[in-house]
Amino acid sequence: MGSNGGTGPTVATVTNSAKGYLVRRSTRLCLAVLLTALTLLAAGCGGGSADGPVKLTFWTWAPNMDKVVAVWNEKHPDIQVTVNKQDGGDPAVTKLLTAVKAGKGAPDIMQAEYQKIPTLVSAGALADISKDVPTSATGQFGTAELRAVDLGSKALYAVPQDTGPLAFFYRADVFQRLGIAVPTTWQQYAAAARQIHQADPTMYLGTFSANDAGWFAGLAQQAGASWWATKGQTWSVDIDSAATRKVADFWGGLVQEGVIDNKPMYTPAWNAALNDGKQVGWVSAVWAPGVLEGNAAKTKGLWQMAPLPQWGSTFTDGAWGGSATGVTTQSQHPEQAAQFATWLNTDPAALKALVSDAGIYPAAKSAQLTTPPAFFSNQSDFYEVAAKGRDAISPFTYGPNVNAAYNAYNDAFGQAADAKTQSAFGQALTQMQSTTLSNLKSSGFTTSQ
Amino acid sequence: MSRSAPYGFLAPAMVLFTATLALPILYSLYLSLRGVQVQGLGLGPGARQEVWVGLSNYRQSLSDPAFVHSVVRVVGYGVLLVPTMLGLALLFALLLDSRRSRGGGFARTAIFLPYAVPAVIASLLWGFLYLPDVSPVTDVLHGLGLPAPQLLSSRLVLFAVANIALWGGVGFNMVVLYTSLRAIPTELYEAARLDGAGEVSIAVRIKVPIVLPSLVMTLIFSLIATVQVFAEPTTLRPLTNNISTTWTPLMAVYRDAFTRDDIYSASATSVVIAAVTLVFSFGVLRAVGRRAFAER
Amino acid sequence: MSAATSGARTVRTRDSRPSVLATALLMLGAVYCLVPVAWVLVAATKSGADLFSTFTFAPGTHLFANIADLSAYRGGLFWRWMLNTVLYAGVGAALSTLVSAMAGFGLAKYEFLGKSTFFNLILAGVLVPGVILAIPQYLLVARVGMADTYWSVLLPSIISPYGIYLARIYATASVPDELVEAARADGASEARLFVLVALPIMRSGLVTVFLFQFVGIWNNFMLPYIMLGSDRLFPVTVGLNGLLNQGATQPALYTLVITGALLSILPLVALFLLLQRFWQVDLAAGAVKA
Repeated sequence: MGSNGGTGPTVATVTNSAKGYLVRRSTRLCLAVLLTALTLLAAGCGGGSADGPVKLTFWTWAPNMDKVVAVWNEKHPDIQVTVNKQDGGDPAVTKLLTAVKAGKGAPDIMQAEYQKIPTLVSAGALADISKDVPTSATGQFGTAELRAVDLGSKALYAVPQDTGPLAFFYRADVFQRLGIAVPTTWQQYAAAARQIHQADPTMYLGTFSANDAGWFAGLAQQAGASWWATKGQTWSVDIDSAATRKVADFWGGLVQEGVIDNKPMYTPAWNAALNDGKQVGWVSAVWAPGVLEGNAAKTKGLWQMAPLPQWGSTFTDGAWGGSATGVTTQSQHPEQAAQFATWLNTDPAALKALVSDAGIYPAAKSAQLTTPPAFFSNQSDFYEVAAKGRDAISPFTYGPNVNAAYNAYNDAFGQAADAKTQSAFGQALTQMQSTTLSNLKSSGFTTSQ
Repeated sequence: MSRSAPYGFLAPAMVLFTATLALPILYSLYLSLRGVQVQGLGLGPGARQEVWVGLSNYRQSLSDPAFVHSVVRVVGYGVLLVPTMLGLALLFALLLDSRRSRGGGFARTAIFLPYAVPAVIASLLWGFLYLPDVSPVTDVLHGLGLPAPQLLSSRLVLFAVANIALWGGVGFNMVVLYTSLRAIPTELYEAARLDGAGEVSIAVRIKVPIVLPSLVMTLIFSLIATVQVFAEPTTLRPLTNNISTTWTPLMAVYRDAFTRDDIYSASATSVVIAAVTLVFSFGVLRAVGRRAFAER
Repeated sequence: MSAATSGARTVRTRDSRPSVLATALLMLGAVYCLVPVAWVLVAATKSGADLFSTFTFAPGTHLFANIADLSAYRGGLFWRWMLNTVLYAGVGAALSTLVSAMAGFGLAKYEFLGKSTFFNLILAGVLVPGVILAIPQYLLVARVGMADTYWSVLLPSIISPYGIYLARIYATASVPDELVEAARADGASEARLFVLVALPIMRSGLVTVFLFQFVGIWNNFMLPYIMLGSDRLFPVTVGLNGLLNQGATQPALYTLVITGALLSILPLVALFLLLQRFWQVDLAAGAVKA
């Protein structure tokens, strides 16, 4: 190829002076970048002194957690906590599990969603901190949250931080305009969905999101399902139960009818639909105001929250989201880390900062919540509705392969939502059950069934 | 000249190659033969033990229908993408090289520009353009009284993903081909031109055969990239019901390794993918390459 | 750089009049490639509320407000990410070019035991996907205590099979054997020979290697995503991805992400425009010569 002096890389000599100048200049530029970088690298490698305060790292994805931690650091000069903001619950768990496998690299303190705790415990990532957390602290939490962090044993793997009771959020202005009463049962919810879609075919009361397994799990929890169970030394999977099937059939029916949308939540399209009033309801959890404020700022003051519609006469609820603060097995200072985790989730000053800065709905019942979130300033009973849900959350057991189950939900229900038939939803549930069970087996667990 | 000199020049590359490529690959091979055994409920400390499992990870990954589907899908994706991308890249390179086109400098920069956009960001941008509710395409089509296409529907989603790769890849391949076109001595076709041959016939009869070796190299690199398609479908996945978490083979690896925390199966699948790629690209090089390079 | 400006090709015949079709096709390609970039430019000018509610190509007036918001996000973290990216890509590409140049020169100008084995091994390295390597790389890096440091991203970025491959081509094609022999006769050591004779001649080709490696590291996502835990070390791709995937309980920060995407593309666009003539890769030349 290089038989002539074309402009290919086979150029033998640089005759063009402008080109030579450019090259020289870029060489110099490279050198400058290199030098700056080496200085930065050197600065980054500085270590702390041996006798200084105990230094703890904290992986969390809650916004503004550094502000809450600043309160602690000011009061505890001998235990200094550094926040490492994570991308969210899933990436943080992935990273922690990888660090545990490597034997190095885990933080001292870790925010973990309730459903991930069995996974983390079974991977040996979370330490038992039961002897470092006083009972006066654990006494502040409800049984559902405590059960999620002690896994039914005498151990304690984390201190509950927040909880996400489900509720029904709706555009009060649209409901009023169409003369629809706020649904208190799922039958009424279905009727309202039909009425709204009939009034305007581009409008939906909600969407079935195959992307949000946590959302579906919360709905199944409300209906009385519990997807995993232990008996002696064996695990069982009970995803395809009558309770979950009732929920799947309900949403499958509405999607088949076409009165509920079948597109995933948290997409730009969903945001646009919330903004321009095409999505006028959302079955979500107590943290919904923050999301609505961020995604549909223009609808401020138009939303209301109501208790979750019910299946039967006893009021029950499920949870979506909610997390706890754990101490990792790699921490060199588990005692101090547990002390911090306790403070963060039970101390009045910490709880106040959690609510106001991090926008969290604390699991501790001692938390004082009176002023509703800014986006719902028109609803004075916001936290009463929330507390009603929180106190009615049904018990639910998560297994050690929640990720595999949620992943199976994404794939199976993604297909079902696209097929838009009720029978496809039933098949998806069957598939989710079998995938989860076989994964549990192939992961080396003893299973029954 | 000392006999150790060449080794001195190669030492840094060898050390780094061993540390950052060879060792991890060997480690993957080792992991692919391992598995986990759980004692009891697996909730106490030390309840997990790594054990040898032989080839069972390989058996499992090769018999997983989701993995098999992903392989079939990627073959379809490659058939769609690679000829389109290389065809357009060659067309643009020839047009740039042709003396009859204008605005070549602008076009060259514009077409090469997407190469500067990371795949994750490119997919985010295209995602916005694909969703009918936020896409300007919808606005334009509605203005014309036409319905908006559902680009992320199960029928079209393969095209939607391929389009992002096309957008990001045409420019790079165009530059590669253009570079070889520029290296062709003009005397080679000046004679044909004087004989009255048109630009098109010069391109087809003289230029294309000469750049064939470059075309083969771009083909091989494109095929490797095709097998490894990952970032585009992963970024688009949350926007649609029609991209599963095992949509491509590498997504299946990612799911096993990161979602299911099963690095053993993931390693086995990776080894299979790497081996197939190796055989495949050397096969292509032998079949197409020898002929292409022999002609020179 | 259009063909018409090349000095080597000044012979003109009657058949060089502009063709509408040829030009139109090129412009169509250019428009196709520019539309998403134009979209991000427009979207970055919109406020969060307007992003989802106004016509997509109607520009807003919030560009500077958006940049200010992004700069204010957690104490200017975005700019730290940009700086990190420049560091990873700049230092990584510089080291990578040096290592590639040395290896390429060694492979091109010497005969030694294991030469072809080594070269083939390097080439096979192209075939192993980064996603696959990420976990074992992490486990090994963590074992030596380097996880979550600048080095964990930099070190694996230095080895570049493409770079070594290209450098070998450049060295073969551009460094004349006679020159090497002459320098040796003058008593130059091999190291001196490389630095003072070979490097200057290979310089223009090495700039190309540098540029491609720079873009490669700039666009890399998986490696830093796995290696890094503290967001102060993130490159911009990983940082923006985090803003986008905040989990269900937080709204995705689309406005910040879009503005950040725009700002992160700009340096590369500048690099493209400034160093146009170095974007040349002759992938096949070496295959013929090797």
